[in-house]
Amino acid sequence: MQTFKKYAVLSLLLLISLLLPHFITDYWIYVLTVAFYYAIMAAGWNLLGGYTGQFSLCHSTFALIGAYASALTIVKLGLPLWVGILSGTLLTLVLSLGLGIVCLRVRGIYLALITWAFAEVIRTFIRVAYEFTGGDRGLNSPYLFRSVKPLPYYYLFLGLTVLAIILIAVVMRSRIGFYLRAIRNDEVAARAMGVNTVRWKIFAFMLPSGLAGVTGAFYGHYIGLISPVLGEFNEMAMIIIFVVIGGMRTQAGPILGAISIRYLMEFLREWAEIRIVILSAIVILIMRFFNGGLMEFLRRAGGWVRKKDAVSAYASMGEK
Amino acid sequence: MGVLYCLMSLGINFIYGIMKVINWAMGEYYMIGSYVLYLLVTFPLGVKYWYVAVLAAAIAVFFLGAFVQVLLIKPMFTGAIGERGEYGTIVTIATAIFIRNLAVVIGGPYIYTPPDYAGPTNIGPLPISGNTLVALMGALILLSLFYYLIKRTWVGRALQGVAQNRIGIQTSGVNILKFDMLAFGIGTALAAAAGALLAPVYLVYPTCGLVSSVRGFEIIVIAGLGSIWGVLVASLALGVVESLGAVFISPSFMDIYGFVLLVIVLSLKPYGLFGKEERIA
Repeated sequence: MQTFKKYAVLSLLLLISLLLPHFITDYWIYVLTVAFYYAIMAAGWNLLGGYTGQFSLCHSTFALIGAYASALTIVKLGLPLWVGILSGTLLTLVLSLGLGIVCLRVRGIYLALITWAFAEVIRTFIRVAYEFTGGDRGLNSPYLFRSVKPLPYYYLFLGLTVLAIILIAVVMRSRIGFYLRAIRNDEVAARAMGVNTVRWKIFAFMLPSGLAGVTGAFYGHYIGLISPVLGEFNEMAMIIIFVVIGGMRTQAGPILGAISIRYLMEFLREWAEIRIVILSAIVILIMRFFNGGLMEFLRRAGGWVRKKDAVSAYASMGEK
Repeated sequence: MGVLYCLMSLGINFIYGIMKVINWAMGEYYMIGSYVLYLLVTFPLGVKYWYVAVLAAAIAVFFLGAFVQVLLIKPMFTGAIGERGEYGTIVTIATAIFIRNLAVVIGGPYIYTPPDYAGPTNIGPLPISGNTLVALMGALILLSLFYYLIKRTWVGRALQGVAQNRIGIQTSGVNILKFDMLAFGIGTALAAAAGALLAPVYLVYPTCGLVSSVRGFEIIVIAGLGSIWGVLVASLALGVVESLGAVFISPSFMDIYGFVLLVIVLSLKPYGLFGKEERIA
């Protein structure tokens, strides 16, 4: 019954998101498409930072690399679009494998330190090598579809988001998901139980990074002009903000966080930097006092409503 | 240049050694340091008393850092927080973003140029910018002060003890919570002093701490976490590698040589040059 309800809710949400673009203006379709991009990024980072407990601070950089590699392959080599996207994905996979081998052999904190430096180095490299990459002026990335209408892109990114959600859900429900959780809870114990921690940590680093690469490549072909801004630390921080506010270690949390906060941020456009100041303050407060974010809030609210229901009061107590 | 990176990475490593927390907001304390210096030098003090401004910046950030520590880092050790590593990382990253964007809100995204301390001078046949020379000497003075504090005073010995064994030192009657606060303050003050000293060289803007904090993190990874002497060696090595790369390959890719050095060191010695393999309790 519980799972049936869950699937019913999920398919209802999918139906709504399929029909929604016919009722809103192009501008909001655009906003939602960008929100889907962030949702995929946040969901990927949640797999690594939330479930596995390894902090990567170059998640947005992999999207940047994917976008640039794809655009450069198409523009400079004249290859078709799908080759570009494929090459962007492969490059991010190779780079994340290399980084993983270098820094995942030791404790988690090294990954954060090195990916942070890596992010800045890549961004600087793209800015400095301007003859090749266009530098700060950006690079014109060919559009994916002929029409300027955002509708096909909306469905594309919706599809990507659904695929990413399914992929992560499958991984987390499989044996690998338990390996990853075991690594976060106690790495030594996991190794003692026969889990090849280094291999699965590298896997947990490569999967979201490759996902970020694909998404970044598609995103580049969507916005049409890519620049190093995509890899700035603020972008990375936004992903962490989405995950923490949405709810770490929940599968719906990052998606919910990304979409709702992107939506909110569009309303508060003229506040510019103040938005980020407020959001980071909220993140600090959530981490300090209310670990769990929006999902935990919803769960508690749900529990509260159920408790008022005198009949199921006992059952909801039993669940806790 | 190596000596200048040193202050920053020493601050990061010092805080890590005591509290086992990487403070990701180091670059932002650096930035606050240079803003404080800019404000003091342009309005009440004037260029003549720049050294007063440097000290004032360091002291102001010391108190700010101690305040932030009490507010956010201390709960980790009083039992309020379950996930220490995760909490420390996310909270300090959020602090970094908070401070950086607050700086944009207050001061705007403009670049401020503090007045020069000293004109260009010559050391032997080498021309060198007076500001860099002054910053270098200031860094050396601060480093020796820090060394004196750690090695010779009672407080420094207590801090060493906290870094070695948090529980053991409590049995000798040291209030570690107080020393955590002190250490966080000192670490951030080192970053702020670096920011204040380098303000005329790298100028003052909301993300001006970025370059030196990237260097700072690279250095502590090369050196190995928690090693103070390693920081000195690694920062000199990084400075040399960058200068050599700039001369022999191309000066525009200067930021990348350090990272290449880091990758090479890490693939040979995963715990850094001077880092010890950590015992997992």
